[in-house]
Amino acid sequence: MDRSYKELLKLRRFPHTWCPGCGIGAVLKNVAMAIKELDWNYKNTVAVSGIGCSGRMSGYMNLDAVHTPHGRPLTAAETIKTVRPDLNVIVLSGDGDLGSIGGNHLLHTSRRNPNITVFCNDNEIYGLTGGQAGPTTPKGTKTLTSPRGEPYSPLRLGRILTQQPPYFYARTSVYHLNHFKTCIREALLWKGFSFVDIISDCIELNGRRLGFKTAYQMFKWFDQRFHIVEGERDHLQEDELGIAKALVEEVPKPAEKIEVKPEIPIESLKPFTLEELQQFDGSGGKPIYIAYKGKVYDLSGSLLFQGEKKMRCHIAGKDLTKDIDIAPHGEDLVFKFPLVGKIEG
Amino acid sequence: MKPRINVIWNEIYCKRCLICVEVCPVQVLSLERNEIEEKDGCIRCYQCERYCPDIAIEVMDEKGRG
Ligand SMILES: Cc1ncc(C[n+]2csc(CCOP(=O)(O)OP(=O)(O)O)c2C)c(N)n1
Ligand code: SF4
Ligand code: SF4
Ligand code: SF4
Repeated sequence: MDRSYKELLKLRRFPHTWCPGCGIGAVLKNVAMAIKELDWNYKNTVAVSGIGCSGRMSGYMNLDAVHTPHGRPLTAAETIKTVRPDLNVIVLSGDGDLGSIGGNHLLHTSRRNPNITVFCNDNEIYGLTGGQAGPTTPKGTKTLTSPRGEPYSPLRLGRILTQQPPYFYARTSVYHLNHFKTCIREALLWKGFSFVDIISDCIELNGRRLGFKTAYQMFKWFDQRFHIVEGERDHLQEDELGIAKALVEEVPKPAEKIEVKPEIPIESLKPFTLEELQQFDGSGGKPIYIAYKGKVYDLSGSLLFQGEKKMRCHIAGKDLTKDIDIAPHGEDLVFKFPLVGKIEG
Repeated sequence: MKPRINVIWNEIYCKRCLICVEVCPVQVLSLERNEIEEKDGCIRCYQCERYCPDIAIEVMDEKGRG
């Protein structure tokens, strides 16, 4: 068994602060294992946390770490990634921190899709402050602040984070260990914003109130509530553990139509003298010709001359080489019209 | 206390959460007088080590060491 992941943990601070059986320890350990497997280290990786029991995770990592104000780990993480794109940036925090006070940052950071990975210890409760109902607390759950059962429906992080590509949203649990490890690894390797929603236990301040005696009993409850779905998914149902991911839809650019006009050899063009050209001024139903760089073009189809007699007189039947060369895009405009002849002499 | 044959247990890190006891498929671990004990019959499946959130129990790499 490879135990080198321990290098990434501040074991001198152990035993860690969490309650007996708390799932946060499992998150810390398995994230450390995955980071070690990928050979990330204190030189190329930064851990960022917010506030809460879960927010204590970065403090146990042997990495450069930031412990931000409540709800703000994503802002710090995105900033670090922006100024130091060479660093791997991970966020370790709780569902309350990321989903409620930090909810707005979650919306906008995910939208901007920075290449960071978020591990959300989703214990469906505010642990640190004593077991109040949080944003992910399932409807009907009895908590400190909802003794008769939480009246509101929870925030569906999975729906929010998979609303438009690109996205990577994984839901897993601390009990489904192999799945948990796969999700961590895939999220770390994902290029872009990846979010791992880890269903975890707060045995002390949530589990006991719900009637569970040990953390393992809560694990079994997770096993009843959730099942793993395999394969590529766009979205996950609320009782599914799996990975929903999508890349940016690349909108194919419509290929620009380039009409290739057949080259007409100059010798075969009809010759005009400048006097002859003057005849074609559009009067009396005659076509409107102009000369440009020795060639004669038929501008009769131009919208510029429809009905505008004054305009016509000004331009029609003349050599406009000088005028067109100083006009913006003048040359391109002339080339759109049919070539009908050349100027003699 | 009986010596533990297959697992090493760290009594300082351990918080007596009983996850290892409950996850062991052959129920050879138990908490006796506030210590994790190992009875005969460990199949060295590493489940206790994998699930311990406190890095407090490890399966010895060579069988029978200890
Ligand atoms: C600005 C601010 N508001 C409120 C708090 C109180 N507070 C501390 S932790 C916390 C909730 C944390 O919940 P979660 O992220 O789920 O972490 P857990 O403790 O469950 O792991 C709250 C509301 C605070 N510290 N700062
Ligand atoms: S209060 Fe809950 S979340 Fe916090 S350490 Fe204890 S069990 Fe874990
Ligand atoms: S799982 Fe770990 S912390 Fe929990 S009782 Fe077993 S050895 Fe102790
Ligand atoms: S290695 Fe497996 S069988 Fe042995 S004590 Fe641990 S869980 Fe039980």
